[in-house]
Amino acid sequence: MPREIITIQVGQCGNQIGMEFWKQLCLEHGIGKDGLLEDFATQGGDRKDVFFYQADDQHYIPRALLVDLEPRVINGIQNSEYRNLYNHENIFVAEHGGGAGNNWASGYHQGEQVVDDIMDMIDREADGSDSLEGFVLCHSIAGGTGSGMGSYLLETLNDRYSKKLVQTYSVFPNQMETSDVVVQPYNSLLTLKRLTLNADCVVVLDNTALNRIAVERLHLANPTFAQTNSLVSTVMSASTTTLRYPGYMNNDLVGLLASLIPTPRCHFLMTGYTPLTVERQVNMIRKTTVLDVMRRLLQTKNIMVSSYARNKEASQAKYISILNIIQGEVDPTQVHESLQRIRERKLVNFIEWGPASIQVALSRKSPYVQTTHRVSGLMLANHTSIRHLFSKCLGQYEKLRKKQAFLDNYRKFPMFEDNDLSEFDESREIIESLVDEYKACESPDYIKWGMEDAGEANVAAALDSKSYKNATLIA
Amino acid sequence: MDDHQTQDLVKELVHRLISAESGGGGRDAGGALRFAHRLLSSRLAPAVLPDEHALAESVKRRLAASGRPDDALAFADLHAKLSARSRPASLWPLLYLLDSLSSHRRAAAAASCLPNLPTAAPPRAAGSGAAAAAAAAGGKPASRAPGAPPGGVVLVSKDPDNIREIALREYTELVLDETEVSEAALVRDVLYACQGIDGRYVRFDKGSDAYDLPDGVRVPRSTRTLVRKLCELGWLFRKVRGFISDNISRSLSDAATEVGTVAQAFCSALQEELSDYYKLLAVLESYSLNPIPTPGSDSGVSGNYLSLRRLAVWLAEPAVRMRLMAVLVDGCRGLRGGAMAGAIHGHAQHGDPTFQDFMGRLLRRVCSPLFEMVRSWVLEGELEDVFAEFFIVGQPVKAESLWQEGYLLQSDMLPAFISPVLAQRILRTGKSINFLKVCCDDNGWADAATEAAVCVGTTTSRGGLGYGQIDALEALVVEAAKRIDRHLMDVIHKRYRFKDHCLAIKRYLLLGQGDFVQYLMDVVGPELSEPANRISSFHLAGLLETAIRASNAQYDDRDILDRIKVKMMDHGDGDRGWDVFSLEYDARVPLDTVFTASVMKRYLKIFNFLWKLKRVDHSLTGIWKTMKPNCIVSSPFYKEGTNIRSQFVSVLRKCQVLFNEMNHFVTNFQYYIMFEVLEVSWARFSEEMDSAKDLDDLLLAHDKYLTSIVEKSLLGERSHGILRNLFALFDIILQFRSHADRWFERIYELQLRGKGKPKSKAKAKSKEVDSWVDGGRKAMIQLAGELFRKMGEDLDSIAKDYTSSLDAFIAQLPMQQHVDLKFLLFRLDFTEYYSRVSSNK
Repeated sequence: MPREIITIQVGQCGNQIGMEFWKQLCLEHGIGKDGLLEDFATQGGDRKDVFFYQADDQHYIPRALLVDLEPRVINGIQNSEYRNLYNHENIFVAEHGGGAGNNWASGYHQGEQVVDDIMDMIDREADGSDSLEGFVLCHSIAGGTGSGMGSYLLETLNDRYSKKLVQTYSVFPNQMETSDVVVQPYNSLLTLKRLTLNADCVVVLDNTALNRIAVERLHLANPTFAQTNSLVSTVMSASTTTLRYPGYMNNDLVGLLASLIPTPRCHFLMTGYTPLTVERQVNMIRKTTVLDVMRRLLQTKNIMVSSYARNKEASQAKYISILNIIQGEVDPTQVHESLQRIRERKLVNFIEWGPASIQVALSRKSPYVQTTHRVSGLMLANHTSIRHLFSKCLGQYEKLRKKQAFLDNYRKFPMFEDNDLSEFDESREIIESLVDEYKACESPDYIKWGMEDAGEANVAAALDSKSYKNATLIA
Repeated sequence: MDDHQTQDLVKELVHRLISAESGGGGRDAGGALRFAHRLLSSRLAPAVLPDEHALAESVKRRLAASGRPDDALAFADLHAKLSARSRPASLWPLLYLLDSLSSHRRAAAAASCLPNLPTAAPPRAAGSGAAAAAAAAGGKPASRAPGAPPGGVVLVSKDPDNIREIALREYTELVLDETEVSEAALVRDVLYACQGIDGRYVRFDKGSDAYDLPDGVRVPRSTRTLVRKLCELGWLFRKVRGFISDNISRSLSDAATEVGTVAQAFCSALQEELSDYYKLLAVLESYSLNPIPTPGSDSGVSGNYLSLRRLAVWLAEPAVRMRLMAVLVDGCRGLRGGAMAGAIHGHAQHGDPTFQDFMGRLLRRVCSPLFEMVRSWVLEGELEDVFAEFFIVGQPVKAESLWQEGYLLQSDMLPAFISPVLAQRILRTGKSINFLKVCCDDNGWADAATEAAVCVGTTTSRGGLGYGQIDALEALVVEAAKRIDRHLMDVIHKRYRFKDHCLAIKRYLLLGQGDFVQYLMDVVGPELSEPANRISSFHLAGLLETAIRASNAQYDDRDILDRIKVKMMDHGDGDRGWDVFSLEYDARVPLDTVFTASVMKRYLKIFNFLWKLKRVDHSLTGIWKTMKPNCIVSSPFYKEGTNIRSQFVSVLRKCQVLFNEMNHFVTNFQYYIMFEVLEVSWARFSEEMDSAKDLDDLLLAHDKYLTSIVEKSLLGERSHGILRNLFALFDIILQFRSHADRWFERIYELQLRGKGKPKSKAKAKSKEVDSWVDGGRKAMIQLAGELFRKMGEDLDSIAKDYTSSLDAFIAQLPMQQHVDLKFLLFRLDFTEYYSRVSSNK
C-alpha cells in the first residue's frame, strides 16, 4: 500500500509544468510514452504506485487530473506522443472553452460551477488508492484558471479531505518584466490567501528566478517556457524522489513536511537545485561532491526564488528548516563532513527559538536517466526571506488598488458584486499577517509573538468570513 | 726366530764378538748364544713410540749441539736419501739401533771413567758368562769400549726393559690374585647386559635400578667401575625396549586404540635403530670369543679380541644414541600423536650433525602419519584420526555450529614445527571442506583441492610429505587453503547469496526498506497497542504478509521474503504488543553459521530499538497531522474574543514549539542512525565482505559490523545509563502524542459546535443573534477556555519533563567514551541552540 498522491494540474501553466513532471517521472521509472513499462525497466528499486496506478492491461496511468477552462494546452497534450499516458476520464476542459480571461474571479466562479464534476474525478481517484496521502496542485498564481479555479479547488479539497495533505507547486509570476496580465497582483493576492489558509505546503516556483537561472546558469539568452518548465519538472521530480525510492527515512510526504514546517502557517518552501543543466550541455562531465552540492544549494544564485527576496535584509533572514535531497552515488560519510564544513563556515543562519539543522536525505538516482553528474541535490528550505516575495506582491497590489484599476472585471462575479471588495482586504490582511509571522520567526522571541497582539483580530475576522464560506459549502 | 739362517747369523755374530773380545773360549760362546737367543725372542719393545722423525730430529739436534753441524747436515742428507729409498717402517728400528749404540758408547765412555762401576754389578751374574750376552744385548758398543770390565753382564741384567717385563709379570700375577672373574667373562657379561640379559656375574639390580656386579664378586675397583659404566647401555636399552614392547603389545591387544599411529611409527623407527645395535652386538660377541691376551704373553696376536676397555670404545657411540633414544622414550611416555612428534622435535634441535641426522631419520618416520593426516584433512577434509593424535579434533555438532565449534585446534597436540598460523590455516582449510560438504552440499571443493595439489606438485596420494619438508607442507596448505577458501567464498556468495541476505536483513530487520516499515507500522500499530497476551502472532504474520505485498518488498526474492518471520518475545503482565513484537530472519543452513542464534539475538535487539524509534517518529508525524497547517490556521478560535484567541494561540504555539523540538531530536537521531551508524557500518562491512578471503574473515567482518551498530546505537553494555534516558525521552514523546490526540479531538469537537452558529447565521442570513446559539457559543468558549488552560498546564509539564530528560541526555553524550557520539551531538545541536540554552542558565 503506497502513500498515493493525486496530482491536480490546473490551468495553462499547471498543465504545462504537470506535463513536464510526468515526462520526467516516466523517464525515471522506465515507463514508456504509452504507459507501458520499458523492456529495460525492472521492478523493485522504485515505487511507481505513489504517482501511478496500473490498469488491468499493465499500463501505468498517472494519478493525475488535467483541468483547464480552455482547451489549448490540454489539446496539445492529447495530441502529443504522451496522449495515451493519461486517463482520459481525468481530463476536464470547460465546455465553453473560453478560459478565465486571466481573471481570478472568473476562474473561481467557474470552479464553483464545475466543482461537482471535478470532485467526482477526485473522489474516484481517491477511492482507487489504498491509503491516500494527499494532493499535489500544480498551478500558477497569476493567471485566471490556475489561480482562481485552483483557489476554489483548494478550499474544496481542504473541506472534503481535511485529513489529507495538500501540497502545491505554485508558479509565481515574473515580477521583473511587465506582464501581459495586468491584473496579476490581484490574482496573486487572492490566490495567496488560499495558499496560506488551505494548503499544507506550498513550493514556491518563482518565474523571475527561474528566468534568471536559465539566463545566468544555463546561459540561455531567451529562455522559453519549455526550458523554464523543465527546470520546474526537475525540481518537482527531485522533491519526490524520497517518496519514489524508498529508503530508511522520508518515505512519506507527511514525514517530509513535518520536519520542514514546524509552524503551520509558515509553510512556503523555497527550492534550490544544483547542478543545473539543459540537454545541450550533456557532454560536460562535472565532478561534484556532496560538499559542493550542499554549499551550492545555499548560494542565492541557485535558488528558485527571486534574488531580491533573498538579498533584502539578508542578515536577519533565517532558515526555519532545510532539507537537502542528495541524489546519486554518495558516500554517507561525506554528508557529515559537509555538514561540519558548513557549520564551521557559518554558511547558514537558523532560527534561534528552537533547535534546527540541515537535514540530508540520500536518495537513489534513476538508473534509466543518464546524467552527467555523479551527485545532484535539491534543497527544500523554509526561509523567512520568502516574506519579501509576499511583500512585493502586496506592494504591487497596493499600487493597483490605489488606482482602483481593473476592478470592474472582478465586480462581474458574485464574490465581488455590489462592489464588495472585502475579499481583497481580507486577503491583504492575511498576507500581511503571514509576512509578520515570518518576520517574527527571525526573532528569538517568536514563541511569545502574537499572543497579545490586537492586530490579530483582523485576521480573525478574515478567518471568520472564510469559515462562513466553508459552512456554506457544507450546507 | 725359527729361521735357520738367522740362527746361523746370530751364532756367527756371537762368535765374532766373543772372539774379538776375548780371543776365543767356546764355553763362553755357548752361553752367550743362548742369551742372545733369549733376548731376540723377547717381544719386549722399547717404551718409545716408533717415531722416525722425532728420532731423526733428536739425532740432528744432538749433533748440532755437540758442535758438529757438518755431521748434522750429513746425517740429514743421508737420512733423507735413505728414507726415500727404503720402506719407512724399516728405517726406524735401524735408526733407533744406531742411536742407542752411539749413546751407549758415550755412556760406556763415561762409565769407564767411574771407578766404582764394576762393584755395582751383582755378583750372582758373574759366572753366568753373561758378559758375552751383555755384549750381545747391549749391542756392539761393548766391543767399542776397550776398557770395559767383565761386569758388563751385570749391566745387561739391569736393563730397564727387563725391569718392565718383570714388573708386568708381577702385575699380572697380582691382578690374577685379586680377580675371581676373568676379564673375558666380564666382557661376555657386559655384552649380555647390553642386550638386557643378566649375565653370570653382571645382573640387573632392581634396588638400584642398574646393572652391577654383585658385591660378592671380587674384582678390582677400576674394573667394577668400568663394568658399571658399560652397563649403563644395558639399562638404557632395557628402557627403550620396554617402551617398544609396551606399545607393540598394546597395539596387538584389544586396546589397540590406545596406541596411536604416531607412536607406532616411533616404535618402528626405534626398532630399526635397535636392529643396528643388535648387529653391532653380534659382531662384538664374536670378537669376545677371541681370548684376551694377558700382558706380557706373546701368543694370541689376533687384534680382534675384546677387553673391557676395548668394549668401552666400541660401545661409546651406540651409548650416545641409546641415551638419546632413552631420553626420547622418557619424553614421549604418556604422550601421543602430535604431542609426541612435538616432544621428539624438541630434542632435534641439536648442533651435532650426526645427532641431527639421527633425529631427522627418526622424525621422518614419526611424522609421516601426522603429515598424512594433514594432507588428507587439507585436501579431502577427512579426519583420519582413530587414535586422537591429530592437532585437530572434530566434535559432533549441529550443522549451524559446525564452523564455530565443529573442529578445534588441540594446542597440546600441535608439534612445534608447525607454526600456530599454519595450524590455523590447516584447521580452516579442512573446516572449509567439511563446511562445504555438510552445510553447503557442495562437491566443487574436490576440484579445488586437486588443483591445489597439482599446483604444489605433490601428488594427492599418501605419504607424499615428510618431516623436514615443512615448506612443502606449508605450500600445499597455503595453496589448498587459497583455492578451497576461494571456492567456499564463491559458494557462499554466489550460491547462497550472502550479500543479498545481509542486505535483506539490513532492509527488513534494520528497517532500511522504509515503505515496508511504514506500512507494517500502519497495519500492526493498532494491534500492538493491545496487551501482549492478547495478540495472536498468527494474525501478525498475516499482517506482515500484507505489508510485504503492499510495499516494494513484494518485488524481492520470494526466498528472502519467506525467511522474514514475526517473533513475539517473552512477555510479562503489563507488556503491550509494542514491547514484544519483533521481526526475525531465518538464515538457514549454511548461512546460519554467520547468523547464529546469538547473532540474531543482537539483530533482534537492534530491530527493537529501531522499531521503537520509528514508532516514536510515526507518532510525532501523527501529531503534526492532527495539527497540520490547513486544520489549524482555519480554526474558528481565531475569530473568537481576544482572550480565548490568545489562549489558543499560546497553547498552539507551545505545542508547535515542543513538537518542533521533539521532531528535531527524533529526526536527527534517525539521521544519525542512518548515516553514522547503519550506512557507515554497512559500507565498511561491504568492503570487508568483498575482500574477505575465507569464512573466518567474513565472520569477523560481520561481527565487526554488528558490534559497531550495537555500540553506536547505544545498545552496548556500557551505554545502559544513556539508553535509559533515551527511552525516557521516547516515553515522554509518546505521552505527548496521546495527550495531543485527546486535546485536538476536543478542539475539533468544540470547533464543530462552534460552527453551529455561523452555519445558522449563513442560512438565516440575518444579523439577528440567536440566543440559543449564542448560549452554545458561550458554553463552548468556556469549555475551550478550560481545555486550553488544562492543555497549557499539561504542555508545560511535558515540556519540563522533556527538557530535563533531554538535558540529561545531551549532558551524558560526551561522557560515552567508548563510542564516538560526537556526530550525534553535532547533529542535535547543529545551531548550538542547546549550548546557548544551557549557557544561559
